[in-house]
Amino acid sequence: MTANSRQFILDRVRAATTADANRYQDIPRDYIGAGNLDPQGRLHLMSERLQEYGAEVVESSPADLPQIISHQLQLSGKHHFVVPQGLPAGWLGSGVTWSIDGNLSHEEIEQCGGVLTAASAGVADSGTIVLHHGPMEGRRIISLLPDFHLCILRASQIVETLPEYFALFPMPPRLATYISGPSATADIEMTRIKGVHGPRFLSVIIVRDDG
Amino acid sequence: MSGPVMDPRIAPPFPQAALPILQNTQLRKNVAHATDVIQAKRNRLVAEKQDWQELRTSAAATRAHVLANLATYLEQFEKNCTAAGGVVHWARDAAEARQIILDILLEEKAGEVIKIKTMTSAEIQLNPALEAAGIAAIETDLAELILQLGNDEPSHIVVPALHVNRQQVREIFARRMGLPELPDDPQALTAAARTYLRKKFLSVPTAISGANFLIAEDGSVVIVESEGNGRMCLTLPRTLITLAGIEKVLPRFSDLEVLLQVLARSATGERLNPYNSLWSGVTPGDGPQKFHIVLLDNGRSEILGRKVERQTLQCIRCAACLNTCPVYRQTGGHAYGSPYAGPIGAILTPQLEHMRHAQSLPYASSLCAACYEVCPVKINIPEVLIDLRAQVVDQERNEGTRWTDPMYLGMKAANFAFGSAARFRMAQWFGRLGLKFFTDRDGWIRKLPNLGSRWTLSRDLPGLPDQTFRQWWSEREPVRGKESK
Repeated sequence: MTANSRQFILDRVRAATTADANRYQDIPRDYIGAGNLDPQGRLHLMSERLQEYGAEVVESSPADLPQIISHQLQLSGKHHFVVPQGLPAGWLGSGVTWSIDGNLSHEEIEQCGGVLTAASAGVADSGTIVLHHGPMEGRRIISLLPDFHLCILRASQIVETLPEYFALFPMPPRLATYISGPSATADIEMTRIKGVHGPRFLSVIIVRDDG
Repeated sequence: MSGPVMDPRIAPPFPQAALPILQNTQLRKNVAHATDVIQAKRNRLVAEKQDWQELRTSAAATRAHVLANLATYLEQFEKNCTAAGGVVHWARDAAEARQIILDILLEEKAGEVIKIKTMTSAEIQLNPALEAAGIAAIETDLAELILQLGNDEPSHIVVPALHVNRQQVREIFARRMGLPELPDDPQALTAAARTYLRKKFLSVPTAISGANFLIAEDGSVVIVESEGNGRMCLTLPRTLITLAGIEKVLPRFSDLEVLLQVLARSATGERLNPYNSLWSGVTPGDGPQKFHIVLLDNGRSEILGRKVERQTLQCIRCAACLNTCPVYRQTGGHAYGSPYAGPIGAILTPQLEHMRHAQSLPYASSLCAACYEVCPVKINIPEVLIDLRAQVVDQERNEGTRWTDPMYLGMKAANFAFGSAARFRMAQWFGRLGLKFFTDRDGWIRKLPNLGSRWTLSRDLPGLPDQTFRQWWSEREPVRGKESK
């Protein structure tokens, strides 16, 4: 039955569109591709846009990173954190409990108050954190269930515009999550409320480049 | 009070359905407030975007390109999604889509299913079918949850419960969640929903979603949301079923650089939505290990074949046309008798019904074209409305009785009069003479007899001026002749 429907639909669609020659290359693209900010400007815009959404942002040098991570974790008031397998051991300081994800159950992840991950990219214009869920960002579930998400973004990963991000990754990722501010709703009288289902608290450490 | 009827096949005509709503001041206040807030946010973010018109042009051209080459892109999507571990199903109509989904759920032995807000599921009336099969469908979008628990129906494509205010939400949650002490501030209400749904997310192994975009290039699916309920449904269950209209395809991953920008700004007045999720098929160890996608035609291939109407399928469901529409802003969504309300609903619903139902909807518009101006993919809604009106008129034409139909006779007479200058002058002269009797001293016509009274029942008409334009033209000083010397 389904095989027939497939043919039926495709035949109808073909019949409806036979006369239309229309090439992909002819789609006009006069919108802004690359931005014009310098790296410092990009970092500032990223930080500003994240804070507009209510995310917390701190900067760090590469050398200070482990210390800043510990400090931010402490400030969160959480004690138990889940992390993906691929993070540098130096990021996982003492004083809190770590669960390293491999194949943790939903319940085990749900027990964690927070999550620490890296990011694949940052888009300054929209304050977007991009996760492609590789070894340093982890499975989708770990950055979803815990209430607090601490995300490490290198300044060199920040692009200014969304088109720049797509230029950076011409091969589509198998999985991607774009986070532009913490979970929110405006479903009741258009009043913006943070934290419906995803993490209620998003904290970002932007790591300045060496040199 | 019985709930609103959202099935276009049995819903009353628009003017009839709108009447009780126009008397519901609370609902109108809620709708006005919500649409004002979204529009203000949208306008601010569109104004800051220097390349807004260029983005619109590109988005419209991308969607038009997809439609012109739809079969190719659908096959490409199918091939790549299948290679990534997804199972692709094709459904000619609503009944077939429901059956495919029910069969999958039966095989999964699912007693419950969690759902991400999907307009397409409302279009095929999936929830009643699930209920009839003994499967509990749990809506996880906050607005949809409010409506489901309150036995209400969506009235907006993006914020479906915008007609309900906080006191009403409190009452529904208190009653249905057993929380008599619940206060009515949105923060507490949202927290109650979070707690209520968290257990479901962790325990229900099957989810149903819609789709914002399908990417042909790699067979991936994109969902845009704010709350995180989408991410929950896409990540926690063992099995995921996605229902998508065949028109939702985009050629490439990078086309999102345009579509995501225009969608977020138009829909919620944000630079990007808080959460965008993309996945291809099945990823070992991460998320559902079974993924089904149902590609739904349900009248779309028919729309595709019509020259003027095809653009209807460019829609990306942002609802900007609803928020700006002077008709929607007065009536809210329920009067449209379909999950698709507002200007886009007025053109989409009758076409999905093969012009056999909802014929009053193309008339639910003042043709002011505000919808066209805000549409991020440049759908010329007024143009389609007029074309559909012509189809409705053609449908209603009865060759046998038309010589007694005043509308037909009037149009025939007008056609004759406008056909020559002499006849037009004559008609003007008669018209002037005839209308004189009904024109008040201040130059306004307030009451016409017979059929004309249907016009003056709710409107005043300015009387004809003393002089026609032609008379004025022939009597005026020939200025131009002097100048040219």
